[in-house]
Amino acid sequence: MVRGDLSDMRPLSLAFACSLLAVAAHAQSATPGGMPPPPGMSLAQSAAMRFPQPVRVGSLIGRDVLRPVESQDVLGRVRRVIRDQNGQIMVVVDFGGFLGFGSRPIAVPVDAMVLLGRDMEIVALTPDQLRQFPTFSPAGATDVPDDTMIKVGLAKPSH
Amino acid sequence: MRSPFRPGVVPDAAVLDDHRPLIRSLERRSLIRGGFSLGALVMLTGCDVRRPEAVESALLAISRFNDTVQAWLFDPNKLAPTYPASMILRPPKFNAYYDVTQVKPVNGNSWRLEVSGLVSDKRSWTLSDLQALPQTSIVIKHICVEGWSYIGGWTGVPLRVFLERVGADLRAKYVAFKTADDYPSSIDMASALHPQTLLALQYGGETLADPFGFPMRLRMAVKLGYKNPKWVTAIEVTNSYTGGYWESLGFPWFAGI
Repeated sequence: MVRGDLSDMRPLSLAFACSLLAVAAHAQSATPGGMPPPPGMSLAQSAAMRFPQPVRVGSLIGRDVLRPVESQDVLGRVRRVIRDQNGQIMVVVDFGGFLGFGSRPIAVPVDAMVLLGRDMEIVALTPDQLRQFPTFSPAGATDVPDDTMIKVGLAKPSH
Repeated sequence: MRSPFRPGVVPDAAVLDDHRPLIRSLERRSLIRGGFSLGALVMLTGCDVRRPEAVESALLAISRFNDTVQAWLFDPNKLAPTYPASMILRPPKFNAYYDVTQVKPVNGNSWRLEVSGLVSDKRSWTLSDLQALPQTSIVIKHICVEGWSYIGGWTGVPLRVFLERVGADLRAKYVAFKTADDYPSSIDMASALHPQTLLALQYGGETLADPFGFPMRLRMAVKLGYKNPKWVTAIEVTNSYTGGYWESLGFPWFAGI
């Protein structure tokens, strides 16, 4: 006797099965997002591969900065966007800490970061590397005005 | 003491291992995964979980049943919420079944939109042909099955206008899409004719950028994000089910919101 098709199912088990399936979906990735740049490639080159899009600097302030892993750990939050002594655009991130306490500002090259919807992600540096970064010092840095448009690369979500 | 409710003969626990890929593909939260116990599987399949194909066909039958219910619940005149233009996220969020570095931009000058199936005019369309049709702008929420969302502003040709223009049989069941990134998709005719379903050409008042589907993508307010193919190259009006990329991997086809 052929069993297991829908007609065999009693109404109660059908309803239960439907309730399971109603919420059961997950757009898993065929390829992961936010992979680090290939070895030997400069940050600028790797950022260029991520289809940089114009974004208003003021809209970046306060965004969560995530780690490109499935759990999307929050590494910190964007505090300001600056131009350093060399003219490089850097994103100052309140890094580390716990529940907002104990974090310290570090300056991350914008080309090491991507836009992920309303969040940002650091794709080219590991948390261990970021921990070695010196605490940001405002000397020699100038703030990039809020209404400036800069270009930042993209990535797909890492989950 | 042995539970009085425990059946005398229990199925082999290896059944769960046999279906691990399928269960993982359906999970959303580990809580739900936890709910997918052996007992639930037994209920799904009328107590014969020893046959893997029985489990899979039961799960897919339920998914199709859900599609039918959703299609029945769908109100073609009910509009999805819209938002002020100030809430548009610029740029929008990128997503695909591959990362952004694999995006292959489409040349808008040589791009053509093929039209086939149950239509009276099968001539192909250029980008400027589409730009010459009446345009509509909407600010709607993009809701992904993964759990995230953002508000986006889209401008383009209502699919209904396009289908009427090509003389499509509006009683047909499906409108199917092919794309430059090999991401086939298809939707029901009622959703295709919904006023918030666009062949989108612009985002935030500017030409669509390459990663978001230039020159043309589908953008609809009444379905989940994965029902919005980018870089559309062909539209077919048909009565044959053609499915889609994620649908062939077990995702629900109707995917209404």
